Amino acid sequence: MKKHTRAYRFAAIATAAVIALSGCSISSNSSGGTNGGKTTLTFWEYYQGTQLTWLKGQVKKFEKSNPDVTVNLVQVVGSQQDQKLLASVATGTTPDLFINNIVVDNPTLVSGGVMKDLTPYWKKYADKDQFPSGAVWKTDGKVYNLMSYTNLLGMFYNKNILAEYGITEAPTTLDELQSDMAKVQAGGKYKGLAESGAPTVEGAWLFAPQLLGQGVNYCNFTGSKVTDAFGRISDWAKAGYTPKATATWDQNAAWQQFMTGKYAFAFNGNWQLGNVKTATFKYGTTQFPAPPNGKSQVYPGGEGFAIGAKSKHPDLAWKFLEQMVLSKQGSESVFADAGSIPVRADVADIPAIKNDQYVQPFVAAAHDTAAWPNNKNTANMQTSLGKAVSAVISGQQTADQGAKSAMDSISSAIKKGGGSCK
Amino acid sequence: MTVLEHERTTQGRQTGGRRPTVRRFFGKNPIFFILPAVVILLAFAAYPLIVLVRMSLSDVGPSNIIGVWNFIGLDNFVDAFTTSQLWQSMLRTVEVSVVLLASNLVLGFLAASVLSVKGRITNIVLGIMVFVWALPPIVSGSVWKFLLDDSGAINSVLGLVGIQPVSWLSEPNLALWTVAGVIAWASLPFSTLILRGGLLAIPQDVIEAAAIDGAGYWRTQLTIVLPLLRPTMWILAILTILYAFKSFDFFYVLTQGGPGTATNTLPVYSYYTAFSNFDMSAGATIAVISMLIVAIFAVPYVRSIRKEATE
Repeated sequence: MKKHTRAYRFAAIATAAVIALSGCSISSNSSGGTNGGKTTLTFWEYYQGTQLTWLKGQVKKFEKSNPDVTVNLVQVVGSQQDQKLLASVATGTTPDLFINNIVVDNPTLVSGGVMKDLTPYWKKYADKDQFPSGAVWKTDGKVYNLMSYTNLLGMFYNKNILAEYGITEAPTTLDELQSDMAKVQAGGKYKGLAESGAPTVEGAWLFAPQLLGQGVNYCNFTGSKVTDAFGRISDWAKAGYTPKATATWDQNAAWQQFMTGKYAFAFNGNWQLGNVKTATFKYGTTQFPAPPNGKSQVYPGGEGFAIGAKSKHPDLAWKFLEQMVLSKQGSESVFADAGSIPVRADVADIPAIKNDQYVQPFVAAAHDTAAWPNNKNTANMQTSLGKAVSAVISGQQTADQGAKSAMDSISSAIKKGGGSCK
Repeated sequence: MTVLEHERTTQGRQTGGRRPTVRRFFGKNPIFFILPAVVILLAFAAYPLIVLVRMSLSDVGPSNIIGVWNFIGLDNFVDAFTTSQLWQSMLRTVEVSVVLLASNLVLGFLAASVLSVKGRITNIVLGIMVFVWALPPIVSGSVWKFLLDDSGAINSVLGLVGIQPVSWLSEPNLALWTVAGVIAWASLPFSTLILRGGLLAIPQDVIEAAAIDGAGYWRTQLTIVLPLLRPTMWILAILTILYAFKSFDFFYVLTQGGPGTATNTLPVYSYYTAFSNFDMSAGATIAVISMLIVAIFAVPYVRSIRKEATE
């Protein structure tokens, strides 16, 4: 009996030791911390190119004015950030600060308890009146996510190619665009359009403006207009205006293709305005072409800035947001460095924006954007649409099949998400 | 008192008498030697599996992933089996398995036969194969993505001989086979090394006896070598099927399950359902179904290993 008691006691000690060791390894990865008298803020981000340059610059400025603080930028794969954030709540290691693809991620992150309630900070914030209501993302009356800039889709075009084919003005409608692509394609030297048609939210984001200007959005995604739009992208793929590879390109891959100088047009966003300056050809920008009998309209996009629910330094994290992101300097610099359009009222009319011919189409688009669906299954709806778009461009489905599968999946996702949409 | 006992007693005195106690304890309870392994196995294998199964029997999304999981029985499994996507994904996974089996067993055997001849070239080729095998799929997958692009190196070479560019990764009827080919390329070194080991273990006198009896190279391979290699090939075939059912990384890098849903195999379908649509319980259900299929193949594998060990 004694022998067994001793054996069990030993087993209990060994088990406790293993659990304690594993517990230590988890807690040592916790967000933020104090290291040698310096406080470290952990910031998860997935920026690339000029946006990353902007953020790094802001971090340097913050560290200079706060010598006792280090901001640790952690590069996360954008498509994997949500699951990492959800996991970080479970282990109590959310980052102090993070960006997120607000229009896709916000419902998931709020319901997962990832974000800290910013309402007390926001109420005391002196400049809060500078921000439009659309920049302050609330759930149940509480502020969780803040936007300092917006990203919008538009069209970039290669002036050299257009001039070669006698196209003197950039198309303003999808019909005109199709006609211009036909001219370019007939020449056999260049391709028509570089855009993302990936089976993800990106493919959906690029496709949606073909319907938004006709009044069709996720909440009423049905009818002949949807079928026609799928028919259009199918025709473009069959004619070779958009290569088959479009079905797997994300926005960065599509942008790289446009920058090769082999494409006459590209659907992409104002965050590429910084990158397009390195183009080896003359370029121009215009609003997203309007669909038949409709207007040019896109969804507003951009990153939300949030503080982790388990942050150990929420006050310091807010200080960073206030000084480096939401401030006038932060807004002006994000435009100057990355081409993103600030939402602060006192920055909208600064000469740098007003006199920039390339950014003006995006500013115009910002004045009349479509509303995102209010449903916790938003990500599911967008993924379903992206899959259908990719399937039609690649030829896996016909236009009618793609339209039907998108309509059915979106309708089902709305129901599963509680039924609300507007 | 024997010499050994004397040494033990001396050691015990030098260390305050603790060591003999511990040693005596383990001597009387040898089962506790496996305790660390059991604890680690429970923590990192059994516990996640239990959570996965529990998730598949519950309604779990982002809002309650940290909180209470409502038990809903087999509803998720009924939903999964009534959608065509699951069956299509299963079929695609089987197709990938067939490609890998053909590659690992047929090409693997041929490569192993060639590389069983000792020499400097063999060593160089084996070195390259180990390098390929050790490459992280994210790295080799990215390289393949560039090579297989519409304007990539492979299409450029085809263009030189007048062949039109092939949409390797964006043609729905081709994308799955292309990715399967890349996975086969990555797993070929492993199968070659395993089969080469099996070939080298075949007694040389058996081969020589066959030669004396007048058997040629191919007859020897078919009637002597292959039957002796059967246990190794059997285990390799099961490992290959298991590998096909858990292959995810190359799909993630090369196609993200697209174009459309053309490369949605079971693990890809499970991942995107759980982490893009955030339908965690549906994703877990697909994973459990995959796991059950894998378990069916794991049973003969374990039996084979036991049989080998006994022999």
